[in-house]
Amino acid sequence: MAPPSSASSGEDSSTPDTTQSQLQHSFLLHKASDKLISSGKARRRRRSIDLSPTKTDDDDKKQSDDERWLRMEAFQLVWSRIESTINHVLRNINARVFDHIRRWVWDSFNAIKPLATISPGPFPLVSQVTCTQLFTGLLLTNNMEFVDDISTFQELGLCLKSHGCHVANLSSFDFSSKNGIAGCLTSLLRQFLMSTFDAADMSILASWYSRQGNYGSPVVVIIDDMERCCGAVLSDFILMLSEWVVKIPVILIMGVATTLDAPRKILSSNVLQKLCPCNFKLGSPAERMDAVVEAALVRQCSGFAVGHKVAVFLRNYFLNQDGTLTSFVRALKIACVQHFSTEPLSFLLGWLLVKEDSKGVQSEKAVKLASELLSLARNQIAEQTEVTIVHSLTELTKLQKLWSTVVLCLYEAGKCNKTRLIDLFCEALDPDTYNLLASDGLTGTGKGFVQSLSSDHCMLEQNLSYRKGRLICQLLGRVRDLPAALLCRLLNGWKNLTVDVPEIHDKVKELQSIVKLDEGSCKPDLKEISRRHTSRSPLKIGQSQSINEKAAILMDCMVRDFMKPIECTAFHEIVCYRNVENLQSALIGDSRKMIQVDLLEFHKTLQCSCCRRSGNIPLPSMPDTSIMYTLAQEHGDLINLHDWFQSFKTIVIQYSRKGTSKLKKSPLKKRKERNESENKSEASIQARFCRAITELQITGLIRMPSKKRRDCVQRVAFGL
Amino acid sequence: MEMNDADDEEFGFSRNYFLAKELGGSAVKSHSKLSDINIVDEQELRAAVSNIEPKHEKEIKDLISSYKRLYPRWAFDLRCGLGLLMYGFGSKKTLLEDFASTSLTEYSAFVINGYLPTINIKQVLTSLAEVLWDQLKIKRRTPSKSLSKDQQPFSSRSVEDLLAFLDGSEDRTSEFLVCVIIHNIDGPGLRDSEIQQYLARVASCPNIRIVASIDHVNAPLLWDKKMVHTQFNWCWYHVPTFAPYKIEGTFFPLILAHGNTTQTAKNAVIVLQSLTPNAQGVFKILAEYQLSHSEEEGMPIDNLFATCRERFLVGSRPMLNSHLTEFKDHELVKTRRHSDGQDCLYIPLTSEALEKLLVEMTQ
Repeated sequence: MAPPSSASSGEDSSTPDTTQSQLQHSFLLHKASDKLISSGKARRRRRSIDLSPTKTDDDDKKQSDDERWLRMEAFQLVWSRIESTINHVLRNINARVFDHIRRWVWDSFNAIKPLATISPGPFPLVSQVTCTQLFTGLLLTNNMEFVDDISTFQELGLCLKSHGCHVANLSSFDFSSKNGIAGCLTSLLRQFLMSTFDAADMSILASWYSRQGNYGSPVVVIIDDMERCCGAVLSDFILMLSEWVVKIPVILIMGVATTLDAPRKILSSNVLQKLCPCNFKLGSPAERMDAVVEAALVRQCSGFAVGHKVAVFLRNYFLNQDGTLTSFVRALKIACVQHFSTEPLSFLLGWLLVKEDSKGVQSEKAVKLASELLSLARNQIAEQTEVTIVHSLTELTKLQKLWSTVVLCLYEAGKCNKTRLIDLFCEALDPDTYNLLASDGLTGTGKGFVQSLSSDHCMLEQNLSYRKGRLICQLLGRVRDLPAALLCRLLNGWKNLTVDVPEIHDKVKELQSIVKLDEGSCKPDLKEISRRHTSRSPLKIGQSQSINEKAAILMDCMVRDFMKPIECTAFHEIVCYRNVENLQSALIGDSRKMIQVDLLEFHKTLQCSCCRRSGNIPLPSMPDTSIMYTLAQEHGDLINLHDWFQSFKTIVIQYSRKGTSKLKKSPLKKRKERNESENKSEASIQARFCRAITELQITGLIRMPSKKRRDCVQRVAFGL
Repeated sequence: MEMNDADDEEFGFSRNYFLAKELGGSAVKSHSKLSDINIVDEQELRAAVSNIEPKHEKEIKDLISSYKRLYPRWAFDLRCGLGLLMYGFGSKKTLLEDFASTSLTEYSAFVINGYLPTINIKQVLTSLAEVLWDQLKIKRRTPSKSLSKDQQPFSSRSVEDLLAFLDGSEDRTSEFLVCVIIHNIDGPGLRDSEIQQYLARVASCPNIRIVASIDHVNAPLLWDKKMVHTQFNWCWYHVPTFAPYKIEGTFFPLILAHGNTTQTAKNAVIVLQSLTPNAQGVFKILAEYQLSHSEEEGMPIDNLFATCRERFLVGSRPMLNSHLTEFKDHELVKTRRHSDGQDCLYIPLTSEALEKLLVEMTQ
């Protein structure tokens, strides 16, 4: 094991050993010792059995260690759930298209098969024109960001494999002009034959296919993004496959990002002739996004939740910054990791999940540990026992379920007018909206639900209007204007969604019964009919409104009484991640800005007393690179090296003068020494200048002189 | 007062671009020449560079040790499958290695010095594969089991095969075993899209996690969305250290050093040390020839090839050419036309410098 170098010393001690390692391309810093691996395992095993914090003196460290491991396990539990839910959702979205593709693949294969059987010779017979056509599926991804579709194509491959096809997934990197046709052929052989060949040749593939076990199934080649492929290489590849199609029944599937006529743009007509295309289409990114938000965050598959600000950030990040679902999932993962790494009580979320699953008592000890932690953290509730935590957590889960039910009901109402779930999700999480209503005494916890239903108008619109909750108010308006048939469908949807919440469920059923009464005599004036019926109906939703109005009031009450944002409930810290600043800085590192800020405002980071800046004037005590970069701000896009050096020298010399003036020496000695030291200081100033330039070059903030302009360097960044 | 300063500063930034464009003309007109500076002797300059008095030592030390409190968080991130990307001004070499030595002791730590301009990715991947192989052997507790017969040793495998091994499609859990620390993943030797693709594939290997540092402001442009979101899985941390870029800066020519074109013996040694022994051998032959034929314009390429093949340093002409390209890239070797029209190779160093270089190389 190499000796660990000390980070505490800014200067590295350059022993021959470290210099050697600094010049090696790579080296092993240390090995994981066998002992450590096994002890880690043992610790894990012990922990899962014995969670009780020991009462001995060394328990502090052990407890924090245990707690960290618990949090790690909780993260793994939670994230694996979220991840599998997301995968499941995405798979479901694609399932129908995949099924079509699968059937088409087998149909196409059956069309090729008879041709293949009549040409048993070693070489392909290109006698018939028709037999050289290549069945090609064009899968329109509707998405310029191919990163979102990587997994789709892998899934497609797996799906086809599971149905007995031989599948190879090629990416656009395999079709680069650098490697040419050999690149994609090598990759093809590697995937089918599981080994590499020096000379890639289709005949190897043909002999592989004729072997027992391989013969009799279609060979599917999937190219994820054909528009990124090099056109010439792809053309060659297609021509080659079409020549061999009699020997190897290849079926091609190509992803297309823009429009279905993309092949026409990159392939020549003689290649296009070889293709026998069939089109398929995937869902749009926005649809997928809403499905993922619904499954992972609204339905809360894992119990993990995000706060309002984080939700808004995630939405904006998706809409404005990146636009890929992959980045959204990654952001969610980082939020989850940070939650478990920074929130001490977060491991209870793992306990909640385990409890849900097995109803076992094994993790009761985790609660005990939590209550101790909690009492340490919050002295004021030190006397509270674990009962409080268990109770609060159960309450939290209950409230969360109610919240998600109401959000889904709202989403159901907004579906016909294409409301985006992510927008609704953000609004439903806003604690300000809830607090605003609560301050006016308009919220309840379900107890006053029946009473509030008897009001004759919606409260939300009056109290929220355009300040907050605009989307919810819009939805209320939408429900009021809904045609009868759609309202019927909406109520049906609500009925299914609210099965677990009897209070709402009953009211929905009541509303439905009124509608059913009307169904027989569907007259244009719905308002009249409903008015007639309400007088007879036992439902006490208002007295004289239309069914639409009643539905709106029901929705209004649901929102006020049951949609309590997570941040307004006690103990939400356990399940809810709220630190949007941390998330943002972990996700989007702005190196361009921050490195400049480091240089220009270094005293804020270093917190030294000597360099409090006065305006833009560089001080000699500042780091040389900072002085240089501050000076560079005064220059144009070209910096004259001579001028730059002179101004640097003027600044640092102030410092040297100050330093030397303090020394008191005899005049003779002084003169001699001064000459020497001036020489020395000139060299050192030049050296410092050189190193500062090198450091600026490493950061990429300046470009080196060109041959034409030897005396100038070029500035690269202007402003932060 | 401070508010005014801040406003001024902000205003300064916003108008900077336009000012820069306006000043562009006048800067060229400034006829001051670099040669007007009374540049000290190169050796003296180099001596002075290595003896620069550090500033703010205490604050820098405090700053770097203040990051120690983040170690548990970083380790947690790695265990959760994220990659760490450290940025901010100052060398982060010691910081990263200290982090690995203190918080990642249960995993193997493998360091890649991305700041080396001559870094060879295949060599790096080979060593990494060996480290992972060792680690897997320990895990499976089958120390006697070596690579099976049909498998070649790592050193003779192709990059693609190495990556396939690292990715480990065999029966292997996705347990975190090896932490790869890449100093300057944006280093000049790694700024190639193919190399970054390889590194991204390494990062997505189930048993490997990456901790990397960047220093260049435009480093994020090296990666596409696939690499960032699905392979590297970066979690960014802003950790300025203000520590001098000592080793990272060695490979840049000093701007005031003698027209900054000729390499000195010292710099040449550093570059040569990072090359393969065979490449060093080729260079030595050239140097020896130049010393013994100091009056000639250089060594003809055919001549060099013949000598190198005799000594089993190269097997083919392309192999020699690849060495020569590397030398030329670092300005260790130049070509000029011989009087008889043949291309000749020479090392742009004086005989004394060359002698010194040979002595240092043999040490």
